[in-house]
Amino acid sequence: MQNAKDTFYTTLQSRLAVLNPARTIVVRGVTRTATLVEENELPSAVVPLNAFCLQWTGLRVNREEPMPMATLECSIQYATDGTTGNGGMDRGRLLAGMDAELASALGAEPQTVEKMNYSPAGTGVAATAMGTNIFWADPVFNAATTVGERLQRTATVQVLAYQEAGEL
Amino acid sequence: MGGRSVKLRTPAPAVAADVSEQLGIATPKFQDLPLQPVVFRKARATVAIGKAAKWEMLVSASVVQSLLGSLAYNSASVLFAQAFGVLCDDELLEIESATQEQVFGQPYVYRLVLRAPLAQMV
Repeated sequence: MQNAKDTFYTTLQSRLAVLNPARTIVVRGVTRTATLVEENELPSAVVPLNAFCLQWTGLRVNREEPMPMATLECSIQYATDGTTGNGGMDRGRLLAGMDAELASALGAEPQTVEKMNYSPAGTGVAATAMGTNIFWADPVFNAATTVGERLQRTATVQVLAYQEAGEL
Repeated sequence: MGGRSVKLRTPAPAVAADVSEQLGIATPKFQDLPLQPVVFRKARATVAIGKAAKWEMLVSASVVQSLLGSLAYNSASVLFAQAFGVLCDDELLEIESATQEQVFGQPYVYRLVLRAPLAQMV
């Protein structure tokens, strides 16, 4: 299941980077595409703005098939305060832009990709391809919520993957 | 509890284009930076049922400014936001918030609200 999570994250990150290369965040001094997996980062009370934060929430495993099928639920949270120079009055437009980018990245064909194993990968070491693919459904966008000047939304997407023998 | 020393634990900069850190496979190294003098506003932590204990700590702005200069952080808020926590007597406290007090536009003290580890919650 971990390989499915890793593969989905890297796929989503690369698609979002193509759609909007200017959407970046700085994490520990390094600029990167504005996506992160919350469980892989240092615990922090700071909410990243104008970035897509992934949380892995639900999990179901169907063992009735010859190869178990795992269904993982990924919750993608994003928020914006708008632009300070505009008094935050453009926060609706900025959130709509993030909605469109996420819908486009997840809805683009194909909604499947070869599952990769990143465990042996390090700097300059390539991930290895596995024998099956991962698939994902169209995202479900929940209602936007307002907290003070902050506008935020959560989208959920179901990610499906076959559990290969000996895989974490 | 005044005039004491604690350490600010900060992660080393991320490795550019290294996906293994983003996937939680590799973990960054940490460095402990001395913060001295600091003052805890109360000798006892603020405790509420079902919540971790909280402390309020005041740090001299001159100490923070020296760290900003030596580590190339562009502001104290970035320094505290990216820090992993404050090491106090071998106990790592998470920084919940950091605010500053100013005189004539210059900060003279930083106020950190620190949270004890959830594992110590009673």
